[in-house]
Parts: sequence; C-alpha cells; structure tokens
Amino acid sequence: MQMKTASVISTGLHIAVLAWATLSFTGKTFEVTPAESLPVDLISEKEFSQLTKGIKDAPKPVETPKPIVEKKAEEPPKPVEEIKPKIDEKREVAPNKEVKQEAPPPDPIADKLKPQEKPPEKQETAKAEPQPLPPKKPPPPKPQPKKPEFNADKIAALLDKRDPTRKSITGNELNSAPSLGTASGSAAQLSQSEIDALKARLYALWSPPAGAQDAGNVQITIRIKFKRDGTLATGPQVLTSGSGPVFNAMRDSAVRAVLVGQPYTMLRPDHYETWQEIDFVFDSSKMYSDIPVRRQ
Amino acid sequence: MNPADVAQSVLPLTSSDLSLFTLFWHAHWIVKFVMIGLMVCSVWVWAIALDKTVLYTRSRKSMDRFETAFWSGQSLEELYRSLSSKPNHSMAALFVAAMREWKRSFEGSPQKSFAGLQMRIEKVMQVTIAREVERLERRLLVLATVGSAGPFVGLFGTVWGIMTSFQSIAASKNTSLAVVAPGIAEALFATAIGLVAAIPATIFYNKFAGEVNKQAQRLEGFADEFAAILSRQIDERG
Repeated sequence: MQMKTASVISTGLHIAVLAWATLSFTGKTFEVTPAESLPVDLISEKEFSQLTKGIKDAPKPVETPKPIVEKKAEEPPKPVEEIKPKIDEKREVAPNKEVKQEAPPPDPIADKLKPQEKPPEKQETAKAEPQPLPPKKPPPPKPQPKKPEFNADKIAALLDKRDPTRKSITGNELNSAPSLGTASGSAAQLSQSEIDALKARLYALWSPPAGAQDAGNVQITIRIKFKRDGTLATGPQVLTSGSGPVFNAMRDSAVRAVLVGQPYTMLRPDHYETWQEIDFVFDSSKMYSDIPVRRQ
Repeated sequence: MNPADVAQSVLPLTSSDLSLFTLFWHAHWIVKFVMIGLMVCSVWVWAIALDKTVLYTRSRKSMDRFETAFWSGQSLEELYRSLSSKPNHSMAALFVAAMREWKRSFEGSPQKSFAGLQMRIEKVMQVTIAREVERLERRLLVLATVGSAGPFVGLFGTVWGIMTSFQSIAASKNTSLAVVAPGIAEALFATAIGLVAAIPATIFYNKFAGEVNKQAQRLEGFADEFAAILSRQIDERG
C-alpha cells in the first residue's frame, strides 16, 4: 500500500518533469554570421612574371603627359599642339629603335638595287611593252617619305628637348623607371620568380656529401656564363677557394649541378643582359632558404 | 547539394525541431527500448526512495517512542500486552518475540526449563533482528543495480544510436554537421536518461544503506540490553 502510493507519486513527478523538459528543451539555432569571402587566385610563377611584365602599348604612357600640360596651362593651346606631335613621334621612336640597326642598311642596298634593276627593266620594257612601267615607278617614292621619319638627327633633337619624365615607358616592368637611355631598353633586373626558379633548380640538383652538414657554413660561389638559349657559354668557374675533402666534394657537386641543370629555360631571353653572367652562391647552411644571387 | 536538404531527406530531423519527443520518436527501436526501460527504472527508483524515506522516518520515530516507553519503568507485562496484538515496528517486534519466548518458558510448560532459556531468547531476538533488517533493506538492491548499471545501459543505447546514425550518414554521403548532429543528439539522449536514473539511485542507495545499518545497530543494542535484563530475571527466579 505504501509502495503503491510512492509509485504513483513518483510517476506523477516524472511525468511533470518530462512535460517541463519537453516544453523547455529547445535547441536554439546558432546564429552564424556569414563571413565575407576573400577571392583568392592561385597563380604560377610564370603567370606572376607575366603580370609584372609591362605591355609596350599600355595606355599609361599616353596619360602621363597630361599633368604636365596642366602645369603649363597658362597658354593652353600651345602646349597641346607641341605635345601632340611629340607623343606621336615618341610612339614611333620605340619601334624605330629596334629596327634602327636593321633599317638603315637596307636603304642603300635598295637604292643600289633600284638603279640596277631599273636598267634591265627599262631594257626589257623597251624591248617588250611600255605598259608595266607605271606600276614600278610608284615603289621608289615609297621609301623616300619614310626616310625623314627614320632620321636620327630628328630623334636626337626631340630627345634633347624633352624632360626624361615625359618619355613613355617601354620597359618590361610596370612602374619601372624609363630605360630609354640604355641599349637594351629592358628592365635591368631578374624578377624574383626567375631567381627562385633558378635557385630551386640548382639546389635540387646540388647534392652535398653526407658529411657536409657537419662542416658548417660552406659557401661556394660559382660564376655562370649563359648563352641566350639558357645553356652555358663556358664552363662554370669556381670563385671560392678552399681545401679539404668536404669542400672539394661540395665544389664538384655544385659544378656538376650547374652543368646538369642546363638549359635554364626559366630565364627569359627578353633581358638576356641581366643574366648573361651570374655569380651563384651555393650555401650549405642555407639549403632551400634565401640565397643571394649577385649579378656581375 | 545543400547539406540541409540532405539532412532533411535522409534524417527527418532538423535542428529546428530538436525537442525531446522528436528525439525519442526518431530513435531506433532498440534505443527506444533502452530509453523506456531507463525511464521505468527512474520511476521505480523514485518510488522506492519515497517509500524508504517514509519507512525509515516512521521506524526511527516509533523506536524512539518505544525506547522512552520501555525505559520509563512501565511494567514489561503491560507493555507486552499492549504491543503483542500488532507489533507495528521492528523494535516492538523484537520485544514481543523475546517476551513471547520468555512467557512460553514460564507459563506454557509444567516443568520450568531455565537451562536453555537465555540461549533461546537470544536466538529468537537474532532471528527477529535479521527479519526486521531484511524488511528495512528490501528493494535497496534495486537502487544499487540501477545506480551501477544505468549509465552502462544508457551508453549502450548511445552506441547503438550512433551506429545507426553513422549508417545514415554513410547512406547520405554527406558529413556536414547538419546531417551528423541530430543522430548523435538522439543517441546521447539515451545516456542522459541513464544518468538521470542512475545518479539519484546511487545517492539514495548510499543514504539508505547507512540508515539501515544505523537502525540495525540500534536493534542489536536493544536486543543485548533486553537479553541482559531477562538473563538477570532468569537468574533471580532460578
């Protein structure tokens, strides 16, 4: 009897607790604040190099003269007239430089050829038909109008008049200072990706002997002369002097790495001048870390 | 595919309606069985606890009352006559058993057998103590069992529920938390019920075991004292 009442009371209590729990037990949904996504592009070394590469006919050089015009804006019409032709001529200057060496020689040859060709033609035409003469006369006048544009004196005069800052950028890199004065006209710098690629290549091939790590900080500088296609122009030249079996083994291994690694296609031929000769430092303590590459 | 859609299609639970009832209703039948069993255990544990609490307080109070009456100098014959009809608590039962044996030895048989009376009275009282203690600690074993086995039973339900929910996850081929969470919450519910049943059971068992021990000792003490009194009476009469 006692147990029965206790059971009834217990059951009632349980039902009450369960009912309360059922009503109160509600999992609140976590409010997730949506984080703004950052767009990330993965680019390879090659793409990075191409990104940093300047475009020859980029719009920037055209825009640069404008602020200068505003500075001289007291007499607006005149500077505009002055600058416009300058820009036009400037644009032509860049391509001219590349052709410069090639363009003048053909002219005398053409001139020589023309008189040579003309007599036989005249003879032939005299012999045969007078009709083909009119079409062949126009070609000679064509090179003549071009000649004033190629005139080196004019370019020199234009260059003398101008501020160097006004010159259009023709370099391989964005934001680089104009290098019109140099013979190459390209950025005199190896890009970091090229340096890294060269470093990775050489360090991957360089296998120092097993005991080299105990030898501590051994640096071996090797002068490498390249050809334009990335192969070696001469054998690698060891600049560091040292002795001992470990040093000899490391030096030989480094030389082997340089020989095996060619052709070094990661170096762009656009600015061959910058990597024509490189002093590469093999550092045993800094394997796979930042190694300085000095340009001679 | 949106994980929430997968969760809705595979497991009909979503995080929005994680009430206790849905947790129970969507569980596997073995887990349901475990949950129901543990709920019944919990109900039974609390019923026993209520019963025992009432029993022990009543027993303790009646013992106090009896002891004051016993030591008040009242005649044992009168006390026996008032209690013999219905010995409603353990100490009264002990007293009545001893007195009955005493009276039987004196009044029943023609030749008075004093020789084994002392031993007989002690024997009778011991038997009565054992019976009374057994009555006091009846169903305490249920509390001990639930207290020790409840968590394991709940854990079994949880393991089973997680196994089935993992099968559901494998079937849905999606490991997002929206798919995993309802099944695991549902499985953990079994452990929760097991703990809810087991924790009070353990606490009550320890408390009641101590209480039974105390009352048994009190009975033993009274039996020894009463045996000493009767022994003096026997020696005086014999």
